[in-house]
Amino acid sequence: MSWPLLLLFCRKELRDLRSNRQVWPVYLILPVVAVLLPVILILVIPVMVDPVRAATDASVRMLVETVERDPSLAGATLAEQIARLVVREFGLWYLLMPVVLASGPAGLSIVREKEQRTLEPILATPLGDRELVWSKLAAALGPALLWTWTAAVAGYAVAALVTGVRIGIPIGPTAGNLVGLVFLGPALAAAAALGGIGVSARFTDSQSANLFTGLVVVPLTLIVLGLVGRPAMASAGTGFGAGVVVLGGCALLFRRALSWLRREELLTRWR
Amino acid sequence: MIEARSLSRSFEGRMAVEGVSFMVPAGRLGALLGPNGAGKTTTMRMLLGLLPPSGGAAEVAGVRLPASRDRAASLRARAGLLTETPGFYDRLTGAENLDFFGRLYRLPDPLRTQRIESWLKRLGLWEARDRSFGGYSKGMKQRLALIRAVFHEPEVIFLDEPTAGLDPAAAREVRDLIAALRREGRTILLCTHHLGEAQALADLIGILQRRLLAFGPLDTLTGAGAAVEIRLDRDPGAFLAASGAVPGVGAVTYDGFLLRVETQDPAAATPALVAALVAAGAGILEVRPVRASLEEIYLRAVESGE
Repeated sequence: MSWPLLLLFCRKELRDLRSNRQVWPVYLILPVVAVLLPVILILVIPVMVDPVRAATDASVRMLVETVERDPSLAGATLAEQIARLVVREFGLWYLLMPVVLASGPAGLSIVREKEQRTLEPILATPLGDRELVWSKLAAALGPALLWTWTAAVAGYAVAALVTGVRIGIPIGPTAGNLVGLVFLGPALAAAAALGGIGVSARFTDSQSANLFTGLVVVPLTLIVLGLVGRPAMASAGTGFGAGVVVLGGCALLFRRALSWLRREELLTRWR
Repeated sequence: MIEARSLSRSFEGRMAVEGVSFMVPAGRLGALLGPNGAGKTTTMRMLLGLLPPSGGAAEVAGVRLPASRDRAASLRARAGLLTETPGFYDRLTGAENLDFFGRLYRLPDPLRTQRIESWLKRLGLWEARDRSFGGYSKGMKQRLALIRAVFHEPEVIFLDEPTAGLDPAAAREVRDLIAALRREGRTILLCTHHLGEAQALADLIGILQRRLLAFGPLDTLTGAGAAVEIRLDRDPGAFLAASGAVPGVGAVTYDGFLLRVETQDPAAATPALVAALVAAGAGILEVRPVRASLEEIYLRAVESGE
């Protein structure tokens, strides 16, 4: 697989995103949430959590019990425990972001080429089927990961700044957060993107492909994320193991996407 | 060279192309004429290795079809395709679109940039290179698509309805470009339903309607419907037998003093015909060879094909 080819499709996707204002809201909302929400939680929750409320409010009591039971948070003040919990658990957002951002373009990757009538000229070049699937995967993943990592750098920097000011200890990401950010998250996003590419190769209109990707592929990926996400945030080893398993699933999905990408059908099924 | 040998293709049991055989030698332009749905695009896709044939074989630029994936990819690297619709990305500029496809054709960097620049200048698109493709006129879009079909200097070029939907001026521009490519000695297969386009550009013309109904140089095709018209000084009724006895002559009819003698080869038959008529006592006022038009040949072939 040639890197220049992957970069080529990535670059085209980025150029396309830059001039496609319809997708801007999604690309803006996700990082804004990534930066603002943990900051708000860090600032607000310790104020709300006091012994009097814990005695009367079941949800506050549950939160206090959660941080007290967590051995990794032992020995810290309640405010620091909650801040560490918020920063750690918010790492899940950075698993979710690339899945959401990559699945959209992936679901449209082939069907949009058909609609734009660019598919036949692409198939008429020496590009092979494997290269096409790799390229489409790179085009879906590249911008999604770039954006997620940029948001994560900003989000963790702001969280460290706020916790430093608020409780005197700047709190950064855990090892589990980092493994999630650079390995498990991209693996989950790749799985969602490959599912989306497979769907895109089978559908003949972008609306149906988008709908199917949104209603089936993304939820399935999110179920996996729900199962492995929290343990992965708590333990880097668990995150790494989960990432390896998801990558194995990606290999199967790649083969499936390849078998769905039949040049002959793509050219003749589409009118 | 482009050669098809009994090429066939069916879709869900329906034959789209049946037993098509023809050859376009290197450096020549062949045109496939046919109505919509005649199988022109399917034939082109088979010859480019995009669709495997259901039967038969082909050889294009030295690659035998059907071919393995790698051989098919090597054929695609040596062929250029102009699809019926331009097929570019609206949000990218003209130059960005060409750069994208140039990279897919593996054109190395300095060469790719040079080729894009020289072709954009040659086709009058240099000034518009940084404009979004979506803002191009139809003629500009088709010219850009033509650049994509040729800028990697392919051995064979496939042009599918290159002037479809263009206004007369834009169609003329595209036809001039194709004529220029032909003069440069490129091997081209043109699919069209514009008879004038085929007549003006092609060395070889085929009439396709699922099966190949005719194929050959324009002169041979139109010669098949040729005749000699001879104006006599008296009623031709008395000279029908003398005319019909000349070798190479077909049906003999007349209207007024005008005798019409059908023949495959007017140049060979005319002297013998004139001599036979003079010997029979006819006075000859005028002799005129008549060729069938491509339109007549086409309509006759298509009607007989149905």
